[in-house]
Amino acid sequence: MTLELPVDLLFGLNLDLNLDLTRVMTANAIVLPVVLPLLAAFLMQPLAQVSRFLARLLGPLVLTLGAWIILNTWLEVGPAPFSVAIGGFAAPLGIVFYADQLALLFALAVQVFTLLFWPGLGAGAKSEVAADRQRAPRRDALALLLASAATGLALSGDLFNIFVFYELAAVASFGLVCADGSGRAWIATLRYLFISAFGSVLALVGIAILYLQTGTLNLAQLAQVAPETLQGPIGLAAFALLLIGFGVKAELFPLNAWVPEVYATAPARVSALLAGLVSKLAILVIVRLLILVFQQPEASQLLLVLGVLGVLTGEFSAWRAQDFPRLLAFSSIGQLGLVAIAFSIDGTTGILAGTAVALHHLIVKSALFGLANRWSGGLDALTGAAKGAPRAAGLFVLFALSLIGVPPLWGFWIKLLIMVGLVQGGSPLDLLALGAILLATAVEAHYLFRVALRLYQPPVPDRALRLAPPARWDTGVAYLLGACLVVISVAITPTTEALRVLAQQTGDVLLYIDTVFPQPLAYKE
Amino acid sequence: MATSPTTVVDQLLAGLHLPDGFDAVAGVIREFLDQVTNSAIWTRYGQQSLEWLIGMNPVDRLFMLSALTLLLMLLLGRLRSAGVLAVLLYGAQFAALLSTDTLFGAPLAAAVRITVADQSLHWSYDALSWFFAMITIGTGFVTAWYAAGSWMRRYREAGRSARAFHVALALNCFGMLLLVGSADLLSLFLGWELVSWASFLLMALVGGPAAQAALKYLAYAISGAMLILGAIALIYGISGSFEYDAVVAAIRSMTDAQVWTLLLLLGGGFAVKLGLLPFHLWQAAAYAEAPGAGSVFLGAISARMGLFGIIVFIVGMIGVSRLMTLEIPYTFMSSRELIAWIAALTIIVPTYTALQQHDARYLLAWHGIGQGGYMLLGLMVGDAVGSAGGLLHCFNYAITQAALLMAVFAVVHRTGTADLNQLGGLVTRMPLTFLVLLFGIISLAGLPPMAGFVSKWMVYRSLITEGMPLLFVAAVVGTLGTILSVYKLIHNIFLGQLRVEHQEVAEAPLSMLIPMLGLSALIFLAGFIPGPALSWVAQVQGQLGLPVVPWVLGGIVDPRGGLDMIWLVGILMAGFGVGALVFYGFGGRSRRVHQLDNYAGGHFLTADVHYQYSDNFYAGLMHLIGPWYRGSFRWLERSLAATLDLVSFGAEGLYRLAQPTLLMLAAAVAMLAWVL
Repeated sequence: MTLELPVDLLFGLNLDLNLDLTRVMTANAIVLPVVLPLLAAFLMQPLAQVSRFLARLLGPLVLTLGAWIILNTWLEVGPAPFSVAIGGFAAPLGIVFYADQLALLFALAVQVFTLLFWPGLGAGAKSEVAADRQRAPRRDALALLLASAATGLALSGDLFNIFVFYELAAVASFGLVCADGSGRAWIATLRYLFISAFGSVLALVGIAILYLQTGTLNLAQLAQVAPETLQGPIGLAAFALLLIGFGVKAELFPLNAWVPEVYATAPARVSALLAGLVSKLAILVIVRLLILVFQQPEASQLLLVLGVLGVLTGEFSAWRAQDFPRLLAFSSIGQLGLVAIAFSIDGTTGILAGTAVALHHLIVKSALFGLANRWSGGLDALTGAAKGAPRAAGLFVLFALSLIGVPPLWGFWIKLLIMVGLVQGGSPLDLLALGAILLATAVEAHYLFRVALRLYQPPVPDRALRLAPPARWDTGVAYLLGACLVVISVAITPTTEALRVLAQQTGDVLLYIDTVFPQPLAYKE
Repeated sequence: MATSPTTVVDQLLAGLHLPDGFDAVAGVIREFLDQVTNSAIWTRYGQQSLEWLIGMNPVDRLFMLSALTLLLMLLLGRLRSAGVLAVLLYGAQFAALLSTDTLFGAPLAAAVRITVADQSLHWSYDALSWFFAMITIGTGFVTAWYAAGSWMRRYREAGRSARAFHVALALNCFGMLLLVGSADLLSLFLGWELVSWASFLLMALVGGPAAQAALKYLAYAISGAMLILGAIALIYGISGSFEYDAVVAAIRSMTDAQVWTLLLLLGGGFAVKLGLLPFHLWQAAAYAEAPGAGSVFLGAISARMGLFGIIVFIVGMIGVSRLMTLEIPYTFMSSRELIAWIAALTIIVPTYTALQQHDARYLLAWHGIGQGGYMLLGLMVGDAVGSAGGLLHCFNYAITQAALLMAVFAVVHRTGTADLNQLGGLVTRMPLTFLVLLFGIISLAGLPPMAGFVSKWMVYRSLITEGMPLLFVAAVVGTLGTILSVYKLIHNIFLGQLRVEHQEVAEAPLSMLIPMLGLSALIFLAGFIPGPALSWVAQVQGQLGLPVVPWVLGGIVDPRGGLDMIWLVGILMAGFGVGALVFYGFGGRSRRVHQLDNYAGGHFLTADVHYQYSDNFYAGLMHLIGPWYRGSFRWLERSLAATLDLVSFGAEGLYRLAQPTLLMLAAAVAMLAWVL
């Protein structure tokens, strides 16, 4: 009896050690979804010289692998957050990745959505494919670059790295937007480039202020020192500049003048990725900063004001939009304003609502842009489109209802959550935001259903021929995302609970610091 | 056997509290059922299903049947027999509603409840729910019957989807049943949105002008829904719960300013659906352009959901006495008078707009808006007779409007037009339809002996006894407009000269006539013996905490002047009898001539001679009151739309700036200035 006890202990220890090792190994693999697409992007052009077929296959394969790695890591490591020091250099000297549920969720979303909206997949008519062949490798390389940068944005644990990935994503998206080479797309990209560059300069100034004040750019360390060094106007000025810088991609109000032109002229799937995915990652960065570094009510208010302005200008402009992609672009501005409003609400409720509305918009708007692939051009041209594409039209109605927030769809519960959060906040600004959301929703319903009714009108005879139904792949993706929406709407309670856990984890600053700088065990006890 | 169809029917009949004379009818039904029960198929399958159904919670059973109707219409709506199936299913829903016994019995909660992230949605039926659900399902039943035969064949031949129609109707019913049974703010909003979107579906089905009208409706409806949602959020901010108990407590603790806010938000939201001024412009076109049977359903019950909301929140939770204490600053009016005057204006303005209409569908739809005003007016008086009149008018109006619209759409079915300038003389071609319309307009105008008289009389009487003579005058002015316009309606369709192209027109098909005649009989019966309907209303009043109307079989008893319709109708009939005796007794004889073979003023009148014009009816009256139609509300609506357009133009301009970076710079400077 007395002998057996140490043996048990020993085994137990062994087991623990093993587990820990696996955990570390698996955790380190999280770097791969960032590195592999980057590598593949550079290999794309040489590979295309060897075999066009392999080059076409490379992107989807890498993304599938990336998605599998993230999913595997998530399942293996479990719900607790972990951090990975790149190259073994510990923070704050080295570069860290911080992976909590929020980061993993968005990293996974990057892989999955880039795959779903992969430019080369299920491309439609044969003539398009032929013209496409020359540009395919370049475009695929850019898309992989975008995926890599976006995953990096989700996972990075220091501001410098975030900035680098952000710029990388910007460069990739410039290329993707003008990939089809039309003159309008070039001009739109140029505008995008100016705005983006100016935003980057301001963000850089903000980062410089942070560095001057604190001497670090590691988020965990910033979080530790922020209460002493970043209170007051200097910190807020830094936040304002960062907000402007990252707000460009997050489609926040005065920084989003590029959005309508770019989405109206870019290939629909690229618009889907930018509006659905990249914008959310930019918001994610802002939210991380808000939670970890700038825990001041003024900072939240700033976000709230920009959100309200975004909701109002976006939805009102969408009301006037004359073509489908532009309508979706403006609607996307409005929805991102809603995301900003949600994240400005205090505490877990805010993070929960913000994450939910971001995910909802990711699903809905991406799918809608997918449908817009063949439905570009004036809204008049859509008259009677439901005849040729009843499924696509039905899906449009489903997504529109959820965007408006009609119960019992997911969109309603999210809006309710935001409204209740705002009412509980109770300040005049909160109530103003509430009014803005209600007003914008009424406008939103009107323009979305103006389109829906047009779809279901009897077709104009000579136009009907020109109006091709959306490609099978896009409709399939829309089906998949629609199914996701319905499943979430049915399983609303578990979804909300899961998101609440996620939100609590995200809002826990101490957990972030402890994960990046693990205290020695003895010290902890 | 504990649960056989016979016992079920017995229980249902017992729940109805019918007078003894109906025993014979029950006997016939029972005999038929006994035969069914003895068949082999029944013992094999029917018995089990019945026992399962009997075992359910009655409210769940009602919801389940309604959802089943929706599902079956979705699956089988394309079949030719779907119409008949729908009629049977609505009948089953009606039976299920009776079996809840929530009118005379205690309120009953549904076992179904949905929990969403620590909020729970639940439903419960009480007398108020029962009353509105009864009207809803009844309307659904007659509408489905009306649509089941010839009407639907024509509808299909026009290349339209029968399934879409059946689904839209079933969805409307389902949504309304959920709405009137809602027992917390969330289930209320769920039902509200379901009803709003379902009626949008029904309106937009046929496209063209109907789709335009539906889109306008949507703009109004969603704005109203957002007002309600805003109110729900504000209530939650104060009460911390969506449950009605907590809401009532919260309202009691609210300051006057808060109650005002709530009143404006909720009142505004529900008023949109009810079509109260100034939110009434959407309703006429949306209801009139809907496909015939759909128009009947919408016209009869749909707008009543707004009234339901007002009853639950403003009459039930806030209470008329609280309304009286809410003074409008710098005036002598309280909020109750404000609502009453809005109701009175809602009676007058749309009714006189109806007078101008040249389309029978629009004429009736405009009237529907005005009639909503009587209901609200009665409820705002708040005494026993007035509120009973308001509630009773919901029922009376529903059967009246359904019958009227059915008659008009039967004419459309046969002649292809509802244009009052293109019709005339159809009384000889469609005598039964004429009779239905005649019954309907008497009731709509509020004249004895029809149902509409009873409820309107009660509203008038309460306005006088409670000392509101000006409102009484307003209500009577409205009724004058009704009488004028329904006369125009029946004259231009049925009286006067028959048009050549309508010589061969036949009576409405039987499938449409049966529900029409049934409703006409009901209109007369509910006027002749208002007691049963009054007993329902009394239950609703009791549950809402209003004073209960002292009803008897023939009307009401009251020391300040009661009403006994049995006597009144008896005297009226006796008068008619005397008149007939005089007429026929003194050899009054008539000779039938063909309408196109006439003689007048020394000339033979052939078909190509118009001796009677119905174009520009009431030209003289319009000469007098025409300048009063200023179209102010349309102007208001247009200027709102223009404002929205302007604001949108401005917003869009921000995205079109040639130098977007300047805007960014300005934003950066502004933000820095703000934080520093």
